[in-house]
Amino acid sequence: MKKRVLSIMAMGLILVPFLFATVSAKTLKIGSMSPLTGPYASDGTDIKNGVWTAIKVFEEAGGIPGYDKIEFFPQDTACDPRQAVAAANKLLNLGVVGVVGAYCSSSTIPSSEVLDEESIPMITPASTHQDVTDRGLEYMFRMCGRDDDQAPAAAKFIKESLGAKTIFIVDDKTTYSQGLADGVRIAIEKLGVKVLGHEHVNQGDKDFSAILTMAKQKNADVFYMSLQGYSPAAMMTLQAKRLGLKSQIVTQDACFQPKYMGVAKAAAEGVYLTYGFTDPTTPEYKAFEERYVPKYGAIAAYATYAYDSTTALLKAIKAAGSTEPAKIKAELMKLDYQGVAKHIKFGPKGDSGSSYIAFKVVDGKFVPYWEPVNGLIK
Amino acid sequence: MEYFIQQLINGITLGGMYALIALGYTMVYGVIQLINFAHGEFFAAGGYVGAIALGYFSGLGYMETHPIICLTASFAMSMAYCAYLAVGVEKIAYKPLRKESRLAALLSALGMSIFLSNGLMLTQGVYDAVYPSELFQGRFDFGMVTISYLQIMIVSLTACLLVGLNLLVFKTKVGMAMRATAQDKTMSALVAIGSNRIISLTFAIGAGLACAAGIMYGLYYGSVRYDMGFVPGIKAFAAAVLGGIGNITGAMLGGLIIGMVEIFGAGYISSEYKDVFAFIILIAVLYFKPTGIMGENIDDTRV
Repeated sequence: MKKRVLSIMAMGLILVPFLFATVSAKTLKIGSMSPLTGPYASDGTDIKNGVWTAIKVFEEAGGIPGYDKIEFFPQDTACDPRQAVAAANKLLNLGVVGVVGAYCSSSTIPSSEVLDEESIPMITPASTHQDVTDRGLEYMFRMCGRDDDQAPAAAKFIKESLGAKTIFIVDDKTTYSQGLADGVRIAIEKLGVKVLGHEHVNQGDKDFSAILTMAKQKNADVFYMSLQGYSPAAMMTLQAKRLGLKSQIVTQDACFQPKYMGVAKAAAEGVYLTYGFTDPTTPEYKAFEERYVPKYGAIAAYATYAYDSTTALLKAIKAAGSTEPAKIKAELMKLDYQGVAKHIKFGPKGDSGSSYIAFKVVDGKFVPYWEPVNGLIK
Repeated sequence: MEYFIQQLINGITLGGMYALIALGYTMVYGVIQLINFAHGEFFAAGGYVGAIALGYFSGLGYMETHPIICLTASFAMSMAYCAYLAVGVEKIAYKPLRKESRLAALLSALGMSIFLSNGLMLTQGVYDAVYPSELFQGRFDFGMVTISYLQIMIVSLTACLLVGLNLLVFKTKVGMAMRATAQDKTMSALVAIGSNRIISLTFAIGAGLACAAGIMYGLYYGSVRYDMGFVPGIKAFAAAVLGGIGNITGAMLGGLIIGMVEIFGAGYISSEYKDVFAFIILIAVLYFKPTGIMGENIDDTRV
């Protein structure tokens, strides 16, 4: 009998912290989804760091009235659709009010359906495939640009600025990389550039010598490389230069990552890529730079977009004064301000507009080179 | 024609690396009839140790002044480390199970593979480790055919290692002891050959070769990652089976064939299905000759 009383008391003691936890601290829960392991781990970690920075900055500026703190739950998707869906379900169970992510379009598309069923707003900082927002989901937003804007911009650049007459295209068969490669192919054929070949490699391949030999033999003016992530792209660039491929290499937004030059080094010099335009002279960007660089190093691909996505979400929640999804959405649609990466204003589909320009790798840095309206930049 | 020659060169470079890894599978199988699934991790560990050693020399600035010495030292250090690692793995994961069923040792090998791969991830991080690029940057051009210095270095080093291994196994006393242990452990113990020592040595040599392949891989592709051991490990295992598992010459041949089929499949048919071609060849050969290409003399030349 005595034992039973003791054990009941012990169990009661275990419950105490939970009781207090529910009463005292009121926290707002934000989730992020990005690949933290696997081949795209560095891009995923940049996104996590961007979200984390935004939450810290927002809290320092006063946070959200009525909440003691903002809790952050970064989830790993490993760029795997199944794991992304599992991560989305986990975030739902944790009771998040909004999600920033994911990175791979092939992860964002299935996981957004899970979140949309529960009306949780999701803002992707990096998934550029058109279907992300074209499916008509109520609570899907996108901070970065769209591939059906990127592809024509890339095609225009290849035709007008590089004066190419022939092109050889390679992709690695992901929703994003193949979707973009197909888009470029269609756009460039319309402009009268001849496609000498469109080949596919597999995710995780390291040896591209066979396909590069083929590209070398075709000797197109431009070699368009659309791979998921900077790491295989850097390996392909390295092997292409070693094999003596003469075609001009043009690639896409996934390579906008300083580590691309870290691996490819001298081989990356002179490579062109398309990526959303960010004005580095705005006070918003400079403030972010001061905050981010000392802690995480050089600003990479999607850290700025992740920061803007998070800030937009928190601003909307603050303005709504509630975590009710419909109110958050209404406030998100009203946003109109200058963010770190771009000017933020969501359109009816949840897109916030594209601003693709071409960059060139010069001395190990991405330098803005060309823009669709006025051509060469200075 | 030039296209064919270029693809042939690509195939030899890749196939040579597979051959080096396949040797470890086949030698261990020859001696203790175990498929060492952790073998791919020795390859990955070698790639990392090589990256650390070369990065260190590069940081000190010796890489530009004494490239050959740095490279030799890095290879020697990394191969010694991997040999040591493999001997340790054998002592921990396989030796206690030697008298148990083969399935137990096989499962232990799979577990060791996961353990080592995750160990690499936790200690070295999820990012690519970059190799210094100062080495062997030039290339020869013969019309459309290009051979880089790096490819020449890799192919010639691979050839040296393969010849050296053949000499060791077929011309020295140690090699004779290995072959004797492979044929009959009890009999060789009766003529004073310590089977434990020979098994350790076999693991050490196999891991050393895989390690050399790992460094060449890092030099050739520019970077290494913690999970890089898996796919080449599977391909090299297929190569060992293709050549006739347990047979050294077979493993070399099998590695070259798998590398060639992969490259020619990608170059002439479709690069999407290049992995499929390698395994189609494997299935076709095993269908007509279940012991593998060199399988018929499995009893007298295996190690």
